[in-house]
Amino acid sequence: MSILEIKNIKANIGEKNILKGLNLSLEKGKVHAIMGPNGAGKSTLSKTIVGHYDVDVTGGDILLRGESILEMEPEERALEGIFLSFQHPVEIPGVSNAYFLRTAVNAKRVHEGKEELNAAEFLREMKKTAETLGMKPEMISRSLNEGFSGGEKKRNEILQMQMLHPDVILLDEIDSGLDIDALRAVSEGINAMKDGERTFLVITHYSRILDYIEPDYIHVLKDGQIVHTGGPELVAQLEEKGYESIGAAG
Amino acid sequence: MKLATLRDRTPELIAGEWGLHPDRIPALEAFCALPFPDKKSETYRYADTQEIFDTERTRIIPQQGEVAPDPRRVVIVDGVVVSAPDGVAIAFEETDAATKGHFDPLYSLSHALSAPTIVLHPTEVDTLEIQHRYTQPDALLAYRIRIETTANTSVQVYESFFDAQATGSVILYGIDVRVARDATLRWIKNQTLGSTHSRVFASHYADVGENGTLDLSTYDFGSGQGLATLEVVLDAHAISSLHHLVYATEQARRGTVSRVIHRGHHSHSDQVAKNILRHDARGIFDALIKVEHSAPKTIAHQNNQAVLLDEGAYMASKPQLEIYIDDLEASHGSTTGQLDPKALFYLRSRGIGEEEAKKMLILAFANTLIDRIEDKVLREWIHQSFEAVYYGQSHVACLETCHGCEENALGAFSVNS
Repeated sequence: MSILEIKNIKANIGEKNILKGLNLSLEKGKVHAIMGPNGAGKSTLSKTIVGHYDVDVTGGDILLRGESILEMEPEERALEGIFLSFQHPVEIPGVSNAYFLRTAVNAKRVHEGKEELNAAEFLREMKKTAETLGMKPEMISRSLNEGFSGGEKKRNEILQMQMLHPDVILLDEIDSGLDIDALRAVSEGINAMKDGERTFLVITHYSRILDYIEPDYIHVLKDGQIVHTGGPELVAQLEEKGYESIGAAG
Repeated sequence: MKLATLRDRTPELIAGEWGLHPDRIPALEAFCALPFPDKKSETYRYADTQEIFDTERTRIIPQQGEVAPDPRRVVIVDGVVVSAPDGVAIAFEETDAATKGHFDPLYSLSHALSAPTIVLHPTEVDTLEIQHRYTQPDALLAYRIRIETTANTSVQVYESFFDAQATGSVILYGIDVRVARDATLRWIKNQTLGSTHSRVFASHYADVGENGTLDLSTYDFGSGQGLATLEVVLDAHAISSLHHLVYATEQARRGTVSRVIHRGHHSHSDQVAKNILRHDARGIFDALIKVEHSAPKTIAHQNNQAVLLDEGAYMASKPQLEIYIDDLEASHGSTTGQLDPKALFYLRSRGIGEEEAKKMLILAFANTLIDRIEDKVLREWIHQSFEAVYYGQSHVACLETCHGCEENALGAFSVNS
């Protein structure tokens, strides 16, 4: 069953047409990976799904559980269960990590008709989750991403993901800038979220992350369109013979 | 009395008309030698000088009397010291001792119009809270304070203001500070002015002795009119660290005009201003760092940032360096703009509504200066003052601003989790 369906989407960034009629269906509970050469439109695709201000959608539609999300604000898409782990999370001095995440968690809970968590309940939950990701306790009270290393920022993205319980998780180059230990910790955090209900879209330049997060489907994106879809075996083929082997060289 | 009657008069004539003691003539000479503070002057170009100078007001001449004991603070009501804690030596100095050459004409004028200068010398306390209270409407009040520090001591001064009853009044006040050799003065000013409150023009002077440190943080909030001018002179190895946060709304006119003069070698100044302006508010940051021939090895940095939240808001930013030597490290910068769209999007992408996300970013911008206050109680007071203006009421929760609270809460929970 498809949870997110991208239909013939066309999108520009500035004057440049990046997505040129892209079609993609994400099956509920599965891990999808998008691979493709530089400039193929991988990051633009994730930005389009979350409603980034850089992207101007000129055609097509994106359906979440059968409902179009194109007219939704970014926060509405998030509340409906879409989560993007950013390739380069921004640093926001002065906003504490805990305050930010509690605001986000409670916005989601209110949207779902649940009671807000009080500070004590929230901090207990956040601390427990952070510990499982190997995060230092002081990172909870530090300003959001300020002065965090690349690995700490990515762990913080996963912490947010685990606390927000999204349905559709977009991971944009989650492995970039990570050493092997950080990659393992981040991957474990992601795998812990796999429950047969959540859907993942792993956007990656290299196959390395797919050694840790086993995909169900591989989609190859080239020049703004999905040009090939296959199973996990496609990773090895691309690794060995490159995109040329499937007629998708950059 | 109208302040406009001071225009084009000689010092002697002013002294006669205003009934001032002849020893105020030097201050009046300094006032008359500078351009009259109006819209043509750099410092007062955004103040409503016509209303301030052309309106008839009742002049209040403070009459100092008995000072009652107060366990916590020095309370000054309409320029009169009514109470003070033990450990603060208080004197009233009849002879005026205005520093010559201050760039602000209202500095000299406030010295000329002031009754005896209030001299505060914290001898046995390390924290001095000064509470200014203004109670008279449509009044003109001038008073000055001098703070003396002792060598090798560290003192914190916290200034707060209460003026809701002083509708339409003009206050000319200021502090002359002498930071003694090897002494440290931490000076925190917290001032919220409403549109119907008094107009407060503060003109300060600080002389920082060898190896001395002046750490000044000013927090100016609200929809009213006020301006602070400041001249700081640094001796050898002296340090000045100046931080200014302005949150101005509606028709507010707020800002800082300063001159930091490096007179001694190895002196160090650092000045950071952050301004958040909404509606039709005007802000001004006009700051000069002057490095004299006598100040080699100086380090001087200055930066001003402004966020304009509405199209009607306007910031005049004029950071300046005037340098007469080569052997120094100096920089200055200024940015004016909107909230960072990347940061705003990041927050919204986590389900936080646009308005709430904007509020978080504004609070964050302000917090970087508020959170530098080490004293937790004072820090929370400043947070509350900011949020009272920002939200219309203070609703600080422990997670929102006080990092210390989070740490405490985490510590408490770590036992059970």
